[in-house]
Amino acid sequence: MILQITLLCGVVIFSAAAVLLRDLLRSAICLAVASLFLGIIFFRMKAPYIGAFEISVVAGMITVLFVVTIALTKTEGDVRESRAASWAFPVFFIVFLIIDVMVTKSLLGRVPALESVPDRGTFGETLWKMRTFDLVGQIGLILASVFAVLALFRKRSKDE
Amino acid sequence: MIFLFVALPLVVAGILPLIGKISKKVLPDILTNGVFAALLALALLQGRSLISRGPVVETFSWLGEPLSLRLMLDGFSLLMLITVTLVGFCISLYSINYMDHYGAKANFYALFLVMLAGMNGLVLVTDLFQIYLFLEVAAVASYALVAYGLGHDELEAAFKYLMLSAVASVFIILSIIILFGLTGNLDFAGVAQGLKTLDAKYLVGICAAFFIFGFGLKAALVPFHAWLPDAHPSAPAPISAALSGLLIKVSGVYALARVFLNVFGLTPALSTVLMYLGVISMVAAALLALGQRDFKRMLAYSSISQIGYIILGIGLGTPLGILGGLFHLLNHALAKSLLFLNSGSVQMATGTRNLDEMGGLGKRMPVTAATTIVGSLSIAGVPPLNGFWSKLIIIVALIEAKHWAFALIAILASVLTLWYYLLIQRRAFFGKLNERWQAVREAPFWMTTATVILALTCIGVGVFFAATIKTWIQPAADALSQGVRVTLGGLGF
Repeated sequence: MILQITLLCGVVIFSAAAVLLRDLLRSAICLAVASLFLGIIFFRMKAPYIGAFEISVVAGMITVLFVVTIALTKTEGDVRESRAASWAFPVFFIVFLIIDVMVTKSLLGRVPALESVPDRGTFGETLWKMRTFDLVGQIGLILASVFAVLALFRKRSKDE
Repeated sequence: MIFLFVALPLVVAGILPLIGKISKKVLPDILTNGVFAALLALALLQGRSLISRGPVVETFSWLGEPLSLRLMLDGFSLLMLITVTLVGFCISLYSINYMDHYGAKANFYALFLVMLAGMNGLVLVTDLFQIYLFLEVAAVASYALVAYGLGHDELEAAFKYLMLSAVASVFIILSIIILFGLTGNLDFAGVAQGLKTLDAKYLVGICAAFFIFGFGLKAALVPFHAWLPDAHPSAPAPISAALSGLLIKVSGVYALARVFLNVFGLTPALSTVLMYLGVISMVAAALLALGQRDFKRMLAYSSISQIGYIILGIGLGTPLGILGGLFHLLNHALAKSLLFLNSGSVQMATGTRNLDEMGGLGKRMPVTAATTIVGSLSIAGVPPLNGFWSKLIIIVALIEAKHWAFALIAILASVLTLWYYLLIQRRAFFGKLNERWQAVREAPFWMTTATVILALTCIGVGVFFAATIKTWIQPAADALSQGVRVTLGGLGF
């Protein structure tokens, strides 16, 4: 129970830090750590497939994409944010947590409990035999992200 | 063979940046147009025969082991595939000349092909999570394409689009999660069966509301439309055409219609909500379009208004209403992409999108002016063009269903539409030629070719509307009209 609460707190703290930190690289690393905690929670909740996806894709591959993108950016002077912006997120975050607790509590009783799913085999078997087409979608998403980075950080030629 | 609609664009997109290193323009032009032409030919020549005995399901195996790679083609999917590949082909032809001055053409085409794969995947899958997945594939590519010019306006519009689209995605995935929790299934048939036997109407209502919010945002229905009038005008013209002509229809209208009619089943309450959203979008966006000075912004508001017609027809839920809605979806895709491409030609020739600065351009750009008239009159619903027939069918369906007020509003909104399109004609193409535009010339060859093809298609569909409806629209309307029965009846889902 203590480990579970620690992991959940880790997810919340590192997610909030990812939004609040001004250094983009640190933000990306915080997001990766939050995903890592979430992946461990999935493993502990006996959802190894989604845990493996969370750690490999979100904590791993997407972080690499973020870091590469950040490496391609340049500092072009200080951009000053208004004070309202630095207050907005914490206030929104606290309000969200309160509403989330209330809504989740009221919804929990109404959701019919699902029967436990029988073991469907290994991670590879599940992915390959049950969700194969998801892989095609994942490839599409990765291609879209890579091409987006290439397009948005391209060197503009003289005739542009 | 159905898998080709997803696999071919993805494979070609994957190799395009490498090919771009060898040949910056010619090979990427040929390859991309080749992909669109091949897929269009496949859809037109093989589609009808494939679905002649009902929906087709394609499954795959690997070394004798079955794979969970299941795609389904029915009348509705086929109509969407034809719309996407036909309009996409014209956009890709137009890009041969238009995208020259943007540079990194191979990269542009790669993103465009990934967007095509996303849209094609979305219309072929039979699983709620895969709808979300392919919706994201198309969306991620489109964010980058909106920002492709890298100017301040483009980047700001892309960011706004990304933020609102992310909100839409959150609502869609939340709804899918709840449905999975309730039914233990993600495929259409499993979810439809689960919902039929389930006693949790409040939670199902929440899911429906989340889907309306999510898909409504993707389709830019009023009041979820704020992103579209910024994103569509800021993008390069071919992308404006693809977003307005295709993406909002696939990720908004198609997904919404498929989920609500074939999975949830259209209830009277749901029908009423969709019809009201349709009517509000139709009128509010038409009134907002009237006040615009920016050519592309006016077209963007017009898109929201016309999506209202489509949702009104489909939301009505009668076979005739659905037929009219789907016919208008095709007609609007053709005419609106034509108009966005022409606005790009005008912007490229004059350097402005402000209608007040134009005037008399018809004398210098006769083909662009003539095709703009065809597109405008088509969307406004002037006979015998295609838009007239689809609007007429929607209005007749409303009268048949005794929704007199909605029918009257649809007619009045059509008059408003004609009004602002005549304003475009008068300000941009008619009147005395502004001296600044003495040196203006007609758009280059491939740009005019693309717009002429679209204009001729608008005229052709209008003149041969009966054959078009019988061949392409009726099978699509049948797939939707049968509602949940088609999903539960084992016809491919």
